[in-house]
Amino acid sequence: MRFLSILIAALWLALSTAVSPAAAAVADEDLKRLVDALGVGGFSEAEAAINALVATGDDRVSAILDRFGEGDLYTRKADKSVFIAEKAGSDFKLLDPVTGAEAGVVSKGEIEKIKVNNRIRRAIAAAVGSLTLRSPDAAIRRSAAEAVMKSKDAAAIPALDAAIEAETDPAIKQIMVAARAAAVLESDLPEADKIAAVEMIGGLGTRDAMSMLAAYTAVEGPVGEAAASAARTIESSLLVWDAAQNVWYGLSLGSVLLLAAIGLAITFGVMGVINMAHGEMVMIGAYTTFAVQEIIRTSAPGLFDYSLLIALPLAFIVAGGIGILIERSVIRWLYGRPLETLLATWGVSLVLQQTVRSIFGAQNKEVGNPSWMSGSFTIGELSITWSRLWIIVFAMVVFAGLLAVLKRTYFGLQTRAVTQNRQMASAMGIRTPWVDAFTFGLGSGIAGIAGVALSQIDNVSPNLGQGYIIDSFMVVVFGGVGNLWGTFVGAMTLGVANKFLEPYAGAVLGKILLLVFIILFIQKRPRGLFALKGRAIEA
Amino acid sequence: MTDKAEGTLLYLDGVNKTFDGFRAINNLSLVLAPGEMRAIIGPNGAGKTTMMDIITGKTKPDTGDVLFEGSTDLTRLDEAKIANLGIGRKFQKPTVFESHTVEDNIALALKARRGPWATLFHRTGKAEQDRIDELLTTTRLIDKRRFLAARLSHGQKQWLEIGMLLAQEPRLLLVDEPAAGMTDAETAETAILLKEIARTQSVVVVEHDMTFVRDLGVKVTVLHEGSVLAEGTLDAVSSNPKVVEVYLGR
Amino acid sequence: MITGFLLNGFDTRARVVFALLIAIAILVPAANLLLPPDHPLHVPTYMVTLMGKYFAYAMLALSVDLVWGYCGILSLGHGAFFALGGYAMGMYLMRQIGTRGVYADPILPDFMVFLNWKELPWFWYGFDQFWFAALMIVLVPGTLAFVFGWFAFRSRVTGVYLSIITQALTYALLLAFFRNDMGFGGNNGLTDFKDILGYNIQADGTRATLFALTVLAVAIAFALASAVTRSKLGKVLVGVRDAESRTRFLGYRVENYKLFVWTLSAVMAGIAGALYVPQIGIINPSEFDPANSIEAVIWVAVGGRGTLVGAIVGAITVNFGKTWFTGALPELWLFALGGLFIFVTLFLPKGIVGTVQAWWAGKRASAPAATLKPEPAE
Repeated sequence: MRFLSILIAALWLALSTAVSPAAAAVADEDLKRLVDALGVGGFSEAEAAINALVATGDDRVSAILDRFGEGDLYTRKADKSVFIAEKAGSDFKLLDPVTGAEAGVVSKGEIEKIKVNNRIRRAIAAAVGSLTLRSPDAAIRRSAAEAVMKSKDAAAIPALDAAIEAETDPAIKQIMVAARAAAVLESDLPEADKIAAVEMIGGLGTRDAMSMLAAYTAVEGPVGEAAASAARTIESSLLVWDAAQNVWYGLSLGSVLLLAAIGLAITFGVMGVINMAHGEMVMIGAYTTFAVQEIIRTSAPGLFDYSLLIALPLAFIVAGGIGILIERSVIRWLYGRPLETLLATWGVSLVLQQTVRSIFGAQNKEVGNPSWMSGSFTIGELSITWSRLWIIVFAMVVFAGLLAVLKRTYFGLQTRAVTQNRQMASAMGIRTPWVDAFTFGLGSGIAGIAGVALSQIDNVSPNLGQGYIIDSFMVVVFGGVGNLWGTFVGAMTLGVANKFLEPYAGAVLGKILLLVFIILFIQKRPRGLFALKGRAIEA
Repeated sequence: MTDKAEGTLLYLDGVNKTFDGFRAINNLSLVLAPGEMRAIIGPNGAGKTTMMDIITGKTKPDTGDVLFEGSTDLTRLDEAKIANLGIGRKFQKPTVFESHTVEDNIALALKARRGPWATLFHRTGKAEQDRIDELLTTTRLIDKRRFLAARLSHGQKQWLEIGMLLAQEPRLLLVDEPAAGMTDAETAETAILLKEIARTQSVVVVEHDMTFVRDLGVKVTVLHEGSVLAEGTLDAVSSNPKVVEVYLGR
Repeated sequence: MITGFLLNGFDTRARVVFALLIAIAILVPAANLLLPPDHPLHVPTYMVTLMGKYFAYAMLALSVDLVWGYCGILSLGHGAFFALGGYAMGMYLMRQIGTRGVYADPILPDFMVFLNWKELPWFWYGFDQFWFAALMIVLVPGTLAFVFGWFAFRSRVTGVYLSIITQALTYALLLAFFRNDMGFGGNNGLTDFKDILGYNIQADGTRATLFALTVLAVAIAFALASAVTRSKLGKVLVGVRDAESRTRFLGYRVENYKLFVWTLSAVMAGIAGALYVPQIGIINPSEFDPANSIEAVIWVAVGGRGTLVGAIVGAITVNFGKTWFTGALPELWLFALGGLFIFVTLFLPKGIVGTVQAWWAGKRASAPAATLKPEPAE
């Protein structure tokens, strides 16, 4: 839909710029004479005059015809000269239709409106269409073809035929052919042509083609049948697109879940610690973004597009620092008592929430999208917003980065050692308390940068984190503890499943179903999809 | 099932168990006659504990037969069921109920109906009290009966656990490293205690301590890399060149 | 057998607590109804209702303590059972409104008329009868707990995993009850109750009676829980808490024990919820909020888990503190609550009652006559 409205805007723009005198192909006086002919005689004569105007191929013609179609053309009774009349008080201001020059003010009695009926309007539309169809500007040709596709004017067929013949741009040609097919269906051409047209439109496979065909599926005879079968074909291909769209939404939700859960996966995986304040780390990251944007707004507005890039390291440091603080002050006293840790960190989460509420207020905060995060584009029938795309990319980068840290650095080696066998790691001289502290800081820091990303798509409020905590746990538990790939697969699976359930069950019920599914899943595989196996884990 | 299993108390044949590609148990076969006492030795990672896990239902083997009294397939049963069949187990690390008194630990282990309703309305009778006293005497814990188990020393916990095992009145006892962490005197006493038990019940003892195994004076099975390496008297297996190689390194 | 079972669980301390509760159940309503308002010992009605709320919470705390303190199952979703019991009671109270509602529909509650529903959903049938509602108060939380527990305990979901799925359970119910088409009043829940068993729900006499019944229920629940925890079954439960696999290898089917105490506890929580709703006058989905369930856990932790008195003491203390804080220093309440979570887990792991007991036992143990006294359970 958005695509279409942009096209219509482009068309409008193209038509208004077409009035530039530089592109004049005919002398002003000659053109004026042809315009004057519009006011002579009845509708048939007017139609002839329109065709004569079109025949000039002058760029200004379409603008004049547009005004004609809108009923703005008047004949001055004194000299039968045609003008554009605009109301000025009780009188009318006359403008030369060709040059746009003012031609004085007259009373209502001195002029007469040139009557326009539907026949004339059609003729005008077709005329404008065929004019623009041969415009040297590709954008104008394209929009003209789109316009015919909408109007389905059979009168435009000859013009289209000529334009298709002359067209060199294959994309535009394609649109013209489709437009012609649309027009054919509305014409009184033989059935064979119409069936060919139906097949042509069916071949497009777009949502618009589908709605175009929908109008003919009820028609008696072979045309209707052909339309119905083509519509069915499109429908099934659209189903694929819909599924693809759902997968896209699902991947995007999955990326959000991944970002929120991955830090938790580390802390839970390495330390067996459930950090109930994990969501608050995400929240802190989002507020860091807000604070960075506030500072940029007041002191360096030009940097706004870079605000997220500035916020990322800051969020990592702030959230990671708070994480280390929590680990050193609370959690380290509770190792080996996971349930107590859970309660204590819940207390931490309450304190953090209230702290943020006291500093920033309870209201939602406005976090702006930089220009490169806003807008969208389409691929086929897929609509893709930049913000979602960037979040997916970002999630992948974070995931890859984290894998690299854990697999390739010495710190990662220590972390993995502690995950697998704490006592042995300790015996090998690894300072497990420091590994714990830094791992916790790393997990919290990643939650912080997840907050930067989430600030772009969610309300930034002190409760931001709570919305993610259960989902994150579900992802980690579903994927299997101590396995980052499990978290990845878990997040994506849950994201996609959620989006596929939503259309059938509604957003809330879909979520409930998913929770119930996970509850049942944990019954079947208590250690998740990709569980660490063997004796070590049971010790 | 298998005819060969007839008349045996415990019968393991062709048992395999793999953890993430690691073969913990590799085509293990072991036969225990009723009333027999057997010592199992082997280096770390030989699969001793996994074998115990398989017998007691904690771990399910990938393949192989595990039969109790020649006909009961233990691989299909869970821990509680197997325990109620009469297989008792003592863990390597002494595991007792630390926040219960010594007496209550024994009381919970006493052979009785194990369902929630039965225990909810259970009242300790005279016979049970006598039995508890007897077991406390046997395990030399009678003067510590009102202590919380957490207060016991390591060796005392080992004995308490053996006491709990006896309270279950099992037909087969699986005892994992009973002498670990004990003084020499305690170790010797434990050996005597086990021999006493073996007069009425079958016992499988897993142990590292060779002196202890010698004290027991029973048939020895050597496990290595998940299968039986040698079987016989302690003297016979200790002169077996394969066993020497495994223990002394190559 | 049953009386023997109950008496078995009644040691001196339990008797004192029981008697104290009964005294509260009698004296507070008496001080409210019989003493004139200007009497120094007069208890105003709002205070009776407030204390009634605390005691309903105390019963919830007892149920949490039973599973957490004695069996090591940390439930972060007990609020769900509480709320389900509350909803069952709320549905009864809704049906009692009859034509006195805004839309004066004799059958349909106001919110259904508002949603343009034409007939009563099937699951509202029977709730006009108190006995049916009372049955549901027990059956609905009990059945949910049984089914949930049957799945969870059989597949040996333990520790933090179990905690998290209990939280997910109450979260799912929260989302479900928010939906209008569930038929439980959606966001607004059930409210505007008029009377209960024919008595005006706002009247002083009704409120005092509800208070007395609530405290009586706490007393009975306490007696029952004492009996259960002191029975051999209770000892098995503690065994499961401390050494689950040892219990299993002794031949106890651990999942059955967990299921028993879990279901019992859920029923208790449901009854607590049912007593809570008529006194508060509303039940809405926010009762399912996971935060509520976690708060109930902290009551138990503050009072002392594994001591039944502790659960009651903790629930009343923390909620009294909450009432005071939210009145006097509303911004600081979450700091205080959050701090309480951290403080109790770090510095007071045995809770108030547990710490006092330990101190008491320590004093007695140092006396020369009592060298063989057991140390308190952790």
